[in-house]
Amino acid sequence: MLQVLLSGLSIGAVYGLVAMAFAVVFYVTRVINFATGQLLMVAIMLTAGLSKAGLPDWLSISVGLTASTAAGVVIYFVAVRPVLRFDRFSFAWLVSTLGVAIVLQSAAAIIYGPTSQGFPKLLNRDNLVIGGASITLQELLAIIVAVVAVVGFEIFRRRTLFGKVGMAISSDPEMASAIGARVTAYAVAAFAIGGLLAGAAGVLIGPITYANPYLGDTYGITGFVALMIGGIERPAAAMGGGLVLGVLSVGANTFIGSQASDWFPFVVVVVVLLLAPHGLFASGDALKRLASGIGRRTATLKGAN
Amino acid sequence: MSTFLARQSPRSRRVTIGMVVLLVAYLASTFGVANGSYGTQSLVLVAAIFAILALSLDLVAGVTGLYSLGHAGLFALGAYSTTLLNSKFGWNLFLLLPLSIAGVGIVGLVLGFLSLRVSGLYFAITTFIFTLVVVVLLSDFSFTGGLQGIAGPVFPDFPPGLAFLGSSVAWCVGLSLLVTIVIIWSIRSSPLYPVLLAIRDAEPFAAAAGVRTSVMKVGIFGLSASLAGLAGWAFSFLGFISPGQFSWTVSVNILVMVILGGINTRLGPIIGAAFVSAFPVVVSIDPFLQEVIFGLIFVVVIVFFPQGFMGLVGSLARRIRARFRPTAVVVEAVEDDASTPIAYAHLAPQEAVSTTRALPAVDEVALAAKNIVFGYNRGVLALNNVDMVVKRGNIHGLIGPNGSGKSTLVNLMSGRMSPNSGTITADGVRIERLRAPARARRGVMRTFQSAVLVRELTAQENVGIGLYSRFPGIAARSPIWPLLMGARRDSRAIAQKSIAALTSVGLSSGWATTRVADVPHGVEQLTQLAAACIAEPSILILDEPLAGLSSGEVEQVSEILRGLKRAGVTVIVVEHQTRFIFEMCDEVTVLAAGELVTTGTAADVRANERVREVYLGQ
Repeated sequence: MLQVLLSGLSIGAVYGLVAMAFAVVFYVTRVINFATGQLLMVAIMLTAGLSKAGLPDWLSISVGLTASTAAGVVIYFVAVRPVLRFDRFSFAWLVSTLGVAIVLQSAAAIIYGPTSQGFPKLLNRDNLVIGGASITLQELLAIIVAVVAVVGFEIFRRRTLFGKVGMAISSDPEMASAIGARVTAYAVAAFAIGGLLAGAAGVLIGPITYANPYLGDTYGITGFVALMIGGIERPAAAMGGGLVLGVLSVGANTFIGSQASDWFPFVVVVVVLLLAPHGLFASGDALKRLASGIGRRTATLKGAN
Repeated sequence: MSTFLARQSPRSRRVTIGMVVLLVAYLASTFGVANGSYGTQSLVLVAAIFAILALSLDLVAGVTGLYSLGHAGLFALGAYSTTLLNSKFGWNLFLLLPLSIAGVGIVGLVLGFLSLRVSGLYFAITTFIFTLVVVVLLSDFSFTGGLQGIAGPVFPDFPPGLAFLGSSVAWCVGLSLLVTIVIIWSIRSSPLYPVLLAIRDAEPFAAAAGVRTSVMKVGIFGLSASLAGLAGWAFSFLGFISPGQFSWTVSVNILVMVILGGINTRLGPIIGAAFVSAFPVVVSIDPFLQEVIFGLIFVVVIVFFPQGFMGLVGSLARRIRARFRPTAVVVEAVEDDASTPIAYAHLAPQEAVSTTRALPAVDEVALAAKNIVFGYNRGVLALNNVDMVVKRGNIHGLIGPNGSGKSTLVNLMSGRMSPNSGTITADGVRIERLRAPARARRGVMRTFQSAVLVRELTAQENVGIGLYSRFPGIAARSPIWPLLMGARRDSRAIAQKSIAALTSVGLSSGWATTRVADVPHGVEQLTQLAAACIAEPSILILDEPLAGLSSGEVEQVSEILRGLKRAGVTVIVVEHQTRFIFEMCDEVTVLAAGELVTTGTAADVRANERVREVYLGQ
């Protein structure tokens, strides 16, 4: 049981980081960056490639993270800013960010080949045994990074002026720019943070998955599912969704069957979307929301009768 | 009217002839493909099936503004249900055609009902996840053949006598696309089309015109889903089907086809489908490089040509026309400029509203709001125990300082919201729990403080939306609209009534055919008024009809109100221009800070001490 919890939390932390990468971008710009998974892939591929070329691990990782951060910013300028200028309320960014995702993924397949390659082992060698359950230091690191990311982001958002202006931009960009907020700077920052979080998720999961150009697809979708489970409106809720999804998936694998984690996330997200369309952690108290969601639904049904 | 017909008839005859020519050409090219080489067939048939999908997606995404990412999943349901029910249970393929259309349509209705509760983005996300779930289920079950997929059923060949027609599958796909084109183009030419655009761009306006917008959205998505089911049925005859052919990227590809070709156009989705399907075959290079180029095309088109191919063609055509007729365009522009200030037609007030209702007794109550309590949040009440009784045939003013609750009361009376407690009756019937469209159908119509109309439609088409609830079965008849004699008559009637309504609010015929995006604010407000009047309301609620109007236009509105009163319409008007209110109104209700100050005849209210104190500032 403890083993399920620990493994679940560590993989959930990775899902949560990807979900947070989606959510930070959405929070400021109201755009879902569908190339988020590919940013994770960029960090993994570069780190693997450089380390294979003989660079020390810390340097390859730094370059990988810098690249995914920069790629996030490039996506904003190439695929998002122009379409938002044309029409802020259209969904054109959906297609343009997916276009970027296809380009990144296929370009990586051309450069590195479509098959998996080695990834530095990092902390994956060392085990820690807690109460009968074992966890690698790499997995522990994932949980720690996730906690730091959420706490750091929340402090930043609530306690600094920069964060508060970000909240203002998220609710009304035109009003915020009228009071002097530099909307573009915030959007760039959001895409950069998104790229960094996705890249961090990549470096954390790399030693387990190895490096493959199609990892972006897998983790992008799982991160997106985690985002919908937690709630798209708040980055902290997205992380919560990731952790819930991680524990449930590992639990399903353990108790149902080894392939269960292929389909189980989708069952979870469908149930969540039906009962609490805004996500489990949308208003802080998951149970209260669930209860009120059920209440509303029965009321609607009664109304229909 | 006779001039109108004389002007329209040759044009509609030309359209009919054009359509027949197009149909013959279509059938001839289907014949060509059916007798063509295997390579041509597989290319064209796949493109045609994606054209069905793109057309059905454009109906929800382009016309109604709902970005569905569920079309790959719906497509998969159609293909897999046909294949499995045929191969496992031996069901007849032609029985499976209506079944897959209806079945997938029902799935679409359920999906739409569940996902349209929240917002447009939520709809896109839910349908996206729907596709993911369908693909996961198809991959993980053994009876679907898993990831390897399953061989589709064999479509029966033509009997020997008809063998000259060539491949039967080509005809099957060709006719499926033809049916789809007929349905989509019919809707686009029916009076439902402006209504759908209004749902996309101006939902409150559509609801106020009596359109049940949420039902309509679910219904349109259901229709679109059933067309995706049709595409799936036809696709199953093309050979092997596997989950990879229906992944979420296919949903996005369909959307890309729509955008590449031109969103919300007749031909755009077909052109986009042809381009995207042909691209990998025609450009046969390294598959990864091909993917890179394909992704770059997405981005470049979205960023530089958001209107797609048809948008490019349109702007090119305009430029060419401008080159060949430079003087004509200049003259047109000058004429447009010269028409400011707004060139109103001579007013014909007796025609303002041709209501057939008998003039009622003056003291009868038309609308009564009793003990209305309403708060936007817990704690603060926007309206506290407010009464308002409007007598039939009166013009009833509603005034008060900003924030006094006037607009809230109007929204409660018109059905945008329902009160926490209290009753509202119209013509003696309780309506406070009815939604806006239901109230509009009961004859309670409204206008908005600042008009939000469909900017890409003309004033006349916008006004026609107001008639939606007056012509039965527009939605049901729309998929075959031009083929119905009665429907064409209705189209003409709607056009005539719309022009008449615009004339009755004093807008000359030049404005009727101008796009609302290009008209001044005053004309937009009067268009909105015409859209409310055209449905012959018994009670008309006007929310600040004078906001932003010039003094000439104010006189115009006064004249229209007098005409409405003569026709027996009860009018409730919220306004800040007190001179207008006290001149026009029989009775006036005054609100302040969510409480009733007084109500009575205009003269009494004007003399009231508290009204002078809280509102008039005298």
